[in-house]
Amino acid sequence: MTAAAIPPAPDGAIRGALRRLARDPLGSAGLAIVVVVVLSALLADLIVPYDPIAMNIRDRMQEPSLNHILGTDQLGRDTLSRVIMGGRIALEVALFSIGGALSVGLALGMVAGFGPRWLDNALILLFDTVRSFPTVMFALAIVALVGPSLRTIIAVIIVTSIPIYGRVVRTQTLAIRNNEYILAERAMGASMARVLAVHILPNVIGPLLILASMDIPGVIAFEAGLSFLGLGVKPPTPSWGTILADGLALVRNTPWLIVAGGIPLILTTLGFTFLGESLRDIFDPKLRKDL
Amino acid sequence: MRRDKFSWTRIPINRRRFLAGAALGAATATLPRIAWSAGDGVVKGRSYADWGQSDPAFSTGVTDEEVHALIYTKLIQYTPGRSWGWQLDSAASIEQTDPTHITFALKPGIGWSNGYGELNAADVKYSFERVIDPDLAAPNKPDWGTLDRVDVTGERSGVIVFKEPFQPVWNITLPYISGNIVSKKAVEEAGGRLGPDAPTVSGPYKVKEHRLKERTTLVRNPDWSGPRTDFDEIQIFPIDDENTAQIAFEAGDIDFTRVSLSSLANLKASPPAGSTVAEYPSLYYVWVGMNLDNPALNDIRVRQAVQYAIDVPAIMEAAYFGAAKPSTGIIAPGLIGHREKELVPPEGNLAKARELLDAAGASGITLTLDVLNKATNVTAAQVIQATCAQADITIDINLRESGDFWSLGDESKGDGWKSMQLILNRFSMTPDPYYATAWFTCEQVGVWNWERFCNAEFDDLHKKALGEVDTAKRAAMYERMQDLMEESGAYRFITHEAAPVIYRDTIAPALRPDGLPLYRFFKKA
Amino acid sequence: MFLYIVKRVGLGAVIIVIAIVLLYGMIHLIPGDPASIILGPRATPELRAALAAKMGLDKPFPVQIATFLVDVARGDLGTDVFSNRPVAEIVFSQLPHTLALIIAAITWAMAIGIPLGCYSALHRNTMIDKITGVISVGCITLPSFLVALYALLVFAVWLKWFPAIGAGRTGDLASQARHLVLPAFAIGLGWVGYIARLVRASMLEVLAENHVRTARAFGLPERVVIFRYVLRLAILPTVTVIGIGIGFLLSAAVFIEVVFARPGIGKLIIDSITTRNYPVVMGAVLASTVLFVVSTTLSDIVNAILDPRIRSSLR
Repeated sequence: MTAAAIPPAPDGAIRGALRRLARDPLGSAGLAIVVVVVLSALLADLIVPYDPIAMNIRDRMQEPSLNHILGTDQLGRDTLSRVIMGGRIALEVALFSIGGALSVGLALGMVAGFGPRWLDNALILLFDTVRSFPTVMFALAIVALVGPSLRTIIAVIIVTSIPIYGRVVRTQTLAIRNNEYILAERAMGASMARVLAVHILPNVIGPLLILASMDIPGVIAFEAGLSFLGLGVKPPTPSWGTILADGLALVRNTPWLIVAGGIPLILTTLGFTFLGESLRDIFDPKLRKDL
Repeated sequence: MRRDKFSWTRIPINRRRFLAGAALGAATATLPRIAWSAGDGVVKGRSYADWGQSDPAFSTGVTDEEVHALIYTKLIQYTPGRSWGWQLDSAASIEQTDPTHITFALKPGIGWSNGYGELNAADVKYSFERVIDPDLAAPNKPDWGTLDRVDVTGERSGVIVFKEPFQPVWNITLPYISGNIVSKKAVEEAGGRLGPDAPTVSGPYKVKEHRLKERTTLVRNPDWSGPRTDFDEIQIFPIDDENTAQIAFEAGDIDFTRVSLSSLANLKASPPAGSTVAEYPSLYYVWVGMNLDNPALNDIRVRQAVQYAIDVPAIMEAAYFGAAKPSTGIIAPGLIGHREKELVPPEGNLAKARELLDAAGASGITLTLDVLNKATNVTAAQVIQATCAQADITIDINLRESGDFWSLGDESKGDGWKSMQLILNRFSMTPDPYYATAWFTCEQVGVWNWERFCNAEFDDLHKKALGEVDTAKRAAMYERMQDLMEESGAYRFITHEAAPVIYRDTIAPALRPDGLPLYRFFKKA
Repeated sequence: MFLYIVKRVGLGAVIIVIAIVLLYGMIHLIPGDPASIILGPRATPELRAALAAKMGLDKPFPVQIATFLVDVARGDLGTDVFSNRPVAEIVFSQLPHTLALIIAAITWAMAIGIPLGCYSALHRNTMIDKITGVISVGCITLPSFLVALYALLVFAVWLKWFPAIGAGRTGDLASQARHLVLPAFAIGLGWVGYIARLVRASMLEVLAENHVRTARAFGLPERVVIFRYVLRLAILPTVTVIGIGIGFLLSAAVFIEVVFARPGIGKLIIDSITTRNYPVVMGAVLASTVLFVVSTTLSDIVNAILDPRIRSSLR
C-alpha cells in the first residue's frame, strides 16, 4: 500500500491551501459558486426583487421579462425571489442537519471506537440497522408522524446520517486508540472523557469535517427531493424542490419553472462537490479510501 | 365516500409549450406503437387506482365498480348521458308499488358462467340482504339504508321491502355498487365472501388477467346472452396521476382518461390529433369548515368574518385554472336539492369581514387551516391565506398527508380534533342528495362531522327527506338544510370541481353525468 | 472462512429482525387508520374496529411483533385486508420491476464505469482523464430525481425516442427493455461516475504495487498485466460498493418509479404507507430490507473470498 500517512495539514497552512485551491480550476469554480450561493443566502432579504411569498394572481405563469427575470409561478409569485430564498432554505437544512449529525455521530463514534467491546458491537449494530432502511421510506414514516416541515427534514437527515459519520469516526478512533501516548495517558489514570476530548477528537475531526462538507450536496438534493414529493417544507415556503414540483405539474403552461428550480440545484450541488473534492485533495488525499 | 387515493402531481407533459415555436406537425407524429387502437375491438381505459377484489359488498368505490359493472349485472343500470336516469338491466320490470315496496321481475335466461346455473330471485335476495347483514360487516351497508328484506315471490320475481321509505335507492343503490347481483351458490362456497377473483360472472365480460398495479384485461363472457357490446376486449390501466395519464393518452397507451384542470385550457385550444375533449361537472363538494367547538371560533361573527374573507372566484382562477365554478352548497347542479344561490356572495366582502371581526374584538386573529397535501388544495389554501390576510386574519397552513388528514376530526383518534380550527375539505358524492347531508347530522359529530355542527331542524329535515316522494318538496328540504349550514357560519362552500375527459375519436364513450365511465356501454364511433 | 460466513449471515439476520421491530413501532405510532383513509365516512366505528382486529392491531405490541416474525418464518407475509390477497403475492408481483431497474442500472453503470476508470488510470492526467474526472464527480452528486425529470422531458416527451411511463407490455421483452432505458439511465448515471473514480483510484494503487512492477519487468504484454493482475484486484472495492449501493438504489428507485410511473417496490411502499395498509407496508419493507441485507452480506462474503485482508476485520 503506497498510501503514505499524510497528517492533516496544520492550521498555519490555510493560506497555502488557498493558494493551491486557486491553481485548481475546478476547485476555484466550485469556490466561486459556493461563495455566490452562501452570499445570496445570507443577503437574501436584501437582494430579492419581490417578496417571495407575495401572490399576484393576475400575473401568473409569465415568461421571463424585465419585470420578472425568471418569470412567475402559478400564484404570480416572482420566481427569481423564490429561487434566491430557496437557496437559503437549502443551506439552512444543510447546516443544521449535517451539524447535528456530525455532533452526535462524533460522540457515538468515539465512544464506539474507544469504549468497551460490547458497546462497540451494540452501536455498530444500531448503525447498520438504521442504514438498512431505504432512506425515503424512513423519511415518509417520520413525516407522517410529525408532519412535513423544515424541522422534520432536518431530523430525518440527522437520523440517517449519524451512522455514516459514526462509522468513520469509529474507524479513526480504533486506529489511534492503541497509540502509545494514548495508552500512556490511560495508564496514568486519565478518564475516558478526557482522552476522547483532548486526544482523539482533534485527530478525527479533520477528516470528518471534510467528509461532512462533501455531504452537503447530497443533503441539499435530499431536501429538494422530499419537497418535490410534497413531504418537505410547508407552503408558502419556497424550496427548490417545491418549485420543481410546481414546475412539473405546470409544464404545459410554463416551462420556465422547472428550469428555474433545477438549474440552481444542479449548480449548487456541483459547486459544493468540486470545492469539497479540491479541499479533500489538498488536506488529506488518504480520504479517497473512505468513500 | 369513495375517496381518491392521494395523487402525485408531477410528470411533465405538453411539449407544445415547452418547445414554444417548434413545428406542431413534427410534434404530433404518432408512434408506431399505436397498433392497439380501438379499431381492433379493444378499448383501453384508465382508473385512478388498481381495483382490489370481486365482492361488491366490500367494494371500495369507483375503481372496484368499474370492473364489477362489467362482470356482474344489476336490476337497473345508469343511462349514460348528461342527466341522471336509469334503464333496465337484469330486470324485465321493476316498480315502486308503494313507498316501502319495490316489485321486480327478472328476465329469463341470464346465466352464471362456469356452471353456476341461472340468475334468479334467490340470488337477488342473497345479494341485497347480505350487504346489511351485521355479521358480514360490509362497508357498503349504508347504501341500502332502511332495507328490511327481499321477499322471493317466484323463481324470477320478488319484492324489496323497506322499513321506511328510502328514495335514494333508485339513484345510488340499485344502479350502482350495492345493486350488483352475485351468485348465492358461489359466495356461499367461498365462505360468505368473495376474494380477489370472481369464480363466476353474469355480465358481458369476464376478467382474463389482472396484473397488479399494471393492467386489468377483460374479455367477452361467452355465456352472456344480453345485447352484444361493441368491444371484444377492455383493458383498464391504473394510473394515479392525471398528468401521467395524459402522457399515456398522448403516447397512445390509453384511449380514455380524465385530464387535469391545469391542462384543460391548452387541450381545448389544441387537442392531440384524433381526440376530443369534453367537460363534465363533478359531484364532489369542496368547502372550508370551521370547528364550532374550538374556542377561537365560538363567536359567530368570527366565523362569518372568515366566510366573507374568502374569495371563491379567486380560488377558481388560481387553483382550478378557471375550469370549475363556485358552488352554492354541497349538492351539485343536476341533483335534487341544488341551491341556486348562496347566502354569502362568492367573492366575499373584505370590508364586511373586517367589520365583523372588529365587532367581535378579534382583529388580527390567527387561525390554522388544515389541508390535504395535493397541489390543488395547497394552491387554494394559499389563496385563502392571502385574502384572509387582507381582512386581518392570519392563516397558518398545516399541510397534512392523507393518513393524517382523514383522521383529523375523528374523536376516536384522541384529542386532536379539539385543536382543529379551519379545514379545507372535500367529500366525494353519489347522485342522491341524502348522501351529502348524511355527514352533517348530530350523529356524525366526531365521526365525519368535523365542524361538530348539530342542528335539530337539520336532522329532522334529513330524516324526512329520505322518504319524501314528491321531488319538489324534497328539493326544498335539501335547500333549507344548506341554508342552515351556511347560517351557522361554520361552512364556506367552495366548488364542485370539474371532471374534464379526453377520448379518441374512434370511440363513443358512455359516461355518467359526472364524467365517470360506464365501459359496458362504450361504442365504436 | 466458513466461520466468517456464518458470522456474517448471522449478523445479517439480526439486523433484519431489529429493522422489523423498529419499523413496526414507527408505523404504528403514526396517526391514521386504513379504514378511514380508504373507505372514508363509510368506515363506521364498528367497521374500523373490525378491520383493526383483522389486522391484529388490537393486541399488545410485543404480541403483534412476535406473531409477525413467526409468520414470516413460515413464509406468510399476511393478507391485505381490502382485497383478501396474500401480501406475499402483492410484494412479489412488484419486486421484479424494481430488481430489473436496479440490475439494469448497475449493469450499465459498470459497463461504462469500469472501462472509463481503467482508461483514466492508464492515461493519467491526460485531457481525457481530467474531463472524465470532472464529469464523474458531477454525475455523482446530481440528484437522481432531477436527472430522471429532465431525461423524461427531453427524451420521452420532446424527442419521443423512448416511452415515457410504465414498465412495458408484459411478456414482450423488447418493450420492457425500452421502458427500462430512461429509468436505468437516471439511476445509473451517478454510479457511472462513482465506479469510474473508484476503479481509477484502486487501479492506480495496484499499478504501483510490487507484483505488477515485477510482471512488467518480466516482459509480460501490457494487456495481460492489466487484465490478469491489475483489474482483478482493482474491481474489489467496486464489489463492496455495489453491495452497499443497493440500499441507495432502493431509495432512488422510489423517486424514479414515481417520476416514470413504473410499478415497483418503491411505489408500493409509498402507496401503502399513505393508506396505512399495514400488512402491505410490513411486507414490502421487509422485502427491501432483506434485499439490502442480503446484497451487503453477499458482497462482503465475495470480498472476503477474493481478498484475505478483509477476513480479519470482523474478528
